[in-house]
Amino acid sequence: MPHPAHSIIENPREAVAPLSRRAFLRRTSAGLLTGGLSLHAALRSAAAQGGAQVLAPSPSHSPARARRLLFVFLTGGFSHVDTFDYKPRLQALHGQRIPAFGLRADETRQQPLLGSPFEFQRCGRSGLWISDLFPRLQGLADDLCVIRSLHTDIVEHFQATLAMHTGSSTVPMPSIGSWLSHGLGTMNPNLPPYVVMAEHLPYAGAQVFDSNFLPPQHQGVRIIPGEDPIPNLRPPEEPSSLAELERRMLENVNEAHARRRPADLNLAARMGSFEIARGMMREAPSVFDLAGESPRTLEAYGVNPGDKTSFAWQCLMARRLVERGVRVVELIDTGSHDNWDSHGDMQAHRPKAARVDRALAAMLGDLKARGLLDDTLVAICTEFGRTPWTDASNGKGRNHFAKAFTCLLAGGGARGGVTHGETDEFGASIVKNPVHVHDYHATLLHLMGLDHTRLTYRYAGRDFRLTDVSGEVIRDILA
Amino acid sequence: MMTTAFASAAIAAAPPPNATPEQKSWWAFQPLRSSPALPAVKRSAAVRTPVDRFVLARQEAQGLTLLPPADKATLLRRVSFDLIGLPPSPADIDAFTRDPSPQAFNEVIERLLASPRYGERWGRHWMDVVRYADTAGDNADYPVPEAYRYRDYIIDAFNRDKPYDVFIREQLAGDILAAEGPRERYAEQVVATGFLALSRRYATAPFELMHLTIEDAIETTGRAFLGLSLRCARCHDHKFDPVTARDYYGLYGFFASTRFPYAGSEEFQSKNLPRTGFLPLVPPTESARPIEENRKRLESLRAQLEGLEKESAKGKTKGALKSEIEGQLVSLRRELKRRERSGALPDLPVAYAVADDKPTDQAVHIKGDPAQLGDVAPRCLPAFLSGQPGLSLKPGSSGRRELASWIASPDNPLTARVMANRVWHYHFGRGLAASPSNLGLRGETPTHPELLDYLAGYLIDHGWSVKSLHRLILNSATWRQQARGAQSQSESAARLLVGFERQRLDAESIRDAMMTTAGTLDLAPPEAHPFPPIEDWHWTQHNPFKVVYESSHRSVYLMRQRLQRHPYLSLFDAPDANMSTDVRTRATVPQQALYLMNNPFVRTQAAAFADRVINAGSTDEARISEAVALAWSRRPGLAEEKGITAYLRRYEAQARKEGVGEQEATKRAWESEARVLMTASEFFYLD
Repeated sequence: MPHPAHSIIENPREAVAPLSRRAFLRRTSAGLLTGGLSLHAALRSAAAQGGAQVLAPSPSHSPARARRLLFVFLTGGFSHVDTFDYKPRLQALHGQRIPAFGLRADETRQQPLLGSPFEFQRCGRSGLWISDLFPRLQGLADDLCVIRSLHTDIVEHFQATLAMHTGSSTVPMPSIGSWLSHGLGTMNPNLPPYVVMAEHLPYAGAQVFDSNFLPPQHQGVRIIPGEDPIPNLRPPEEPSSLAELERRMLENVNEAHARRRPADLNLAARMGSFEIARGMMREAPSVFDLAGESPRTLEAYGVNPGDKTSFAWQCLMARRLVERGVRVVELIDTGSHDNWDSHGDMQAHRPKAARVDRALAAMLGDLKARGLLDDTLVAICTEFGRTPWTDASNGKGRNHFAKAFTCLLAGGGARGGVTHGETDEFGASIVKNPVHVHDYHATLLHLMGLDHTRLTYRYAGRDFRLTDVSGEVIRDILA
Repeated sequence: MMTTAFASAAIAAAPPPNATPEQKSWWAFQPLRSSPALPAVKRSAAVRTPVDRFVLARQEAQGLTLLPPADKATLLRRVSFDLIGLPPSPADIDAFTRDPSPQAFNEVIERLLASPRYGERWGRHWMDVVRYADTAGDNADYPVPEAYRYRDYIIDAFNRDKPYDVFIREQLAGDILAAEGPRERYAEQVVATGFLALSRRYATAPFELMHLTIEDAIETTGRAFLGLSLRCARCHDHKFDPVTARDYYGLYGFFASTRFPYAGSEEFQSKNLPRTGFLPLVPPTESARPIEENRKRLESLRAQLEGLEKESAKGKTKGALKSEIEGQLVSLRRELKRRERSGALPDLPVAYAVADDKPTDQAVHIKGDPAQLGDVAPRCLPAFLSGQPGLSLKPGSSGRRELASWIASPDNPLTARVMANRVWHYHFGRGLAASPSNLGLRGETPTHPELLDYLAGYLIDHGWSVKSLHRLILNSATWRQQARGAQSQSESAARLLVGFERQRLDAESIRDAMMTTAGTLDLAPPEAHPFPPIEDWHWTQHNPFKVVYESSHRSVYLMRQRLQRHPYLSLFDAPDANMSTDVRTRATVPQQALYLMNNPFVRTQAAAFADRVINAGSTDEARISEAVALAWSRRPGLAEEKGITAYLRRYEAQARKEGVGEQEATKRAWESEARVLMTASEFFYLD
């Protein structure tokens, strides 16, 4: 059994676009229930067809606040003290040397503090501090939940990026999107449950959206912004009656093959992938067709005519995908080069922020206007923060910093206009409510209706989970 | 850059390698057990080679045993893809399944090992490990038209069963070995250092961020040969393995004393810089003359151009003469550009290779920052692993030769274990230690440590012959087991090697098998990649080199870039050529299904396959039998044959209903059946 009985679904009532009855019966009659699609998804689509509830929610769990996750990953480590964690003392003591730390435990080197070159403002009714790197997000302060006390274990891009996605800094593990797909199944069988939009791969590459030991249908499907975001989507020209004959023949052949090799999840997943692919052929072209978007919407995001690669395009696509029931949509803004890793000069943050600010704000506003923000959780995060001191003497940039950094949440049951956690006067250490990456993940799962201690998967003789053996839900920020 | 007083003190105060007890007792750092005793087993009748004793002993302790051997057709398909990456021919299938001799399988193994296709298959494995690419990886991803020589060197080395220790020495220090002769091995040994030359380049200027290029050289050397990830020690002592920052910079010196070639980058275009550091395939005594001739030709070209330009500037020539001069000018300018850009050697065959440079020792980069230098770390081997605090180097040399000798020594506890485990990994889909390029403390421990030591010892004792390991493993009952069924679908059964793990074909095998099935694969050695001529190169980071070349040759010969992944190969999990890969992922994603259903390549191959089948016989029975044998490496059963016949009839009838003529309908029906056969799970999986 791929799913231990105690990994419980918490929102059985949610609408699941039913598989066709034929497809469902075919799978069950082929004895492939345990593999072709996740047991949960199968049961829930059975439930949807029969109108019955199959899995009751566990009484100890809270109901899901969010049904979809929109995970925005800003690559390279954006600086907390230049964005959302305002440190006037840092400005005041600019240039003063303090004992630097963060890369090594025994570090006692003196480094000059670096005041932020950006202006901060109190924003919205909540009065959140946000720097002028994000003029548009400033306008949405009352919707943002700013967690200023994140910390992670390893201060290298590769490891920290992996951690933010999989909970593990070292050994690759399933991505959070894969865990959610595994735990919640899909709301639209014609689209993949976990879609990643990335023009370039981040550090650690495709591992960050890999399903690893979870069944492969939970792997993130990467869409590469551009002319051909999903290649090979268009079927060859031939009469549909012939295409249908061929489809049935291939399915029969594959089912016969799999019947002789029972319990092989890969074979079942492979057959399932053809079905998802056919669904994509039907549905995906309309996802990428922006003809129905009003000029005002396009203008708000900053999508120019013909644009198919900008971050604005990614954000608009993200809205269109969550609207169509994709469970997890991830946006990766840049790759492992030319990103937020501003060692030399913090001004290098400016173009990166300019690239995402307007589009993110437009996306949040759009989700809100369409009533989607209530049950779509938006997580805007990065792999680590940056040192309050300079990277080198007389430098204007900052080094990697794992001891404290900032991430945001919006919508999906997270309180807006609040901050959580505090760092010291320099942003160098956490003085209140530390939030480890595991805590952050536990909170995301909680908002999605899953108990992170019970969303487990048995592999190599051990029950694994996204949060390893720790993780506390941040109660204070739940709306 | 000044070294801060504090920083030097920290380094000087660093204790000598003080390994933790865990590090000291770590299995992979222990000397190889010399000839470990073969375990006694109850089911000794099942034993075919010593491999089986180690496997059975562990299984029997858990009340388990080997599964029976797979049937002959399955075995033949399995061994064919395993050794040559191609399916067996229908004739081979019939011959083998009908051959009752107990030697028949062994003969198949020998035939496959002797095939030139073997090196293409196993060479590709090595290319994963050495992050082979045809481009440099700088921000504009300049092509390296000469890289293929190293690719071919690898393929040839596997085909000739080059002793693995020699293979290591040549890749790390072939340039030094070449200078010492013999003459007929000069080119080969120089080309071998493509291993180092292919270290990743960065940014826009020549050798910008060279410390990262050297990091790649160190990391790939560590992962490929030693099964250790060393790059952590760039910034700090390794957190887990006994490798200090000092060790790292001791290794760094070997590569800092090495001249790497420059293949181009944005500044090649923007600052008109020539390529540098490519090595002629002949010794200096023989290359001196062509180099001198080139120098003279350059001089005369420049003089000629100057004259012509003057004449043309006078503006007195008209008509035919004018256009003749202009034509001459264009062609002379192109030649000049070609000669200038190529470096000193436009007419000599050259290799993307490395050579010794001025020897130097590297100061430690504090926290990996090359601008913050600490104490100098003289070139040395990792202290704990080698047990050698210092190293005596031949004066004037980089020391790569000494480094290679230490790695390629039978006394190095890691080298033979790493390779034996790698070979096992490629045969079974999983290494005895499941992280083949990391046997350190963060890697996976082996399920069968004694067996791994036995294999490592066997490799050394058989003159480092990789083919001898293949024979030992493929002849074992363990490898010949049938695929794991439902009854043994557990992780522990997998770890105890109960049954063969079903494998999806890798990207190269899928494409090659499709083309073999269709009869369209060209097995002749391919021409060089059709890169544009060097005088036309113009790439920048905003407009990088980015191209996909079609080819009818085996997939190992497809051009692969660093910044741009090959659309087909990456879809089926071919590795990222920016870093060494030991285990490929085997993902199943809907985009693969989209490719199989809609990409013109699959349809073209299926059409060729259908033609081939139609011509192979005049009856349905004969055609179906041939088709199934070509695609799935077995003859169809009776029910299967009936099913396919019925499908062909149904499809024909439907096609005619759609207005297709009778002959065309038969062809269409066969094309459809060909697509089914080529995209079915049975095509993609090895039992």
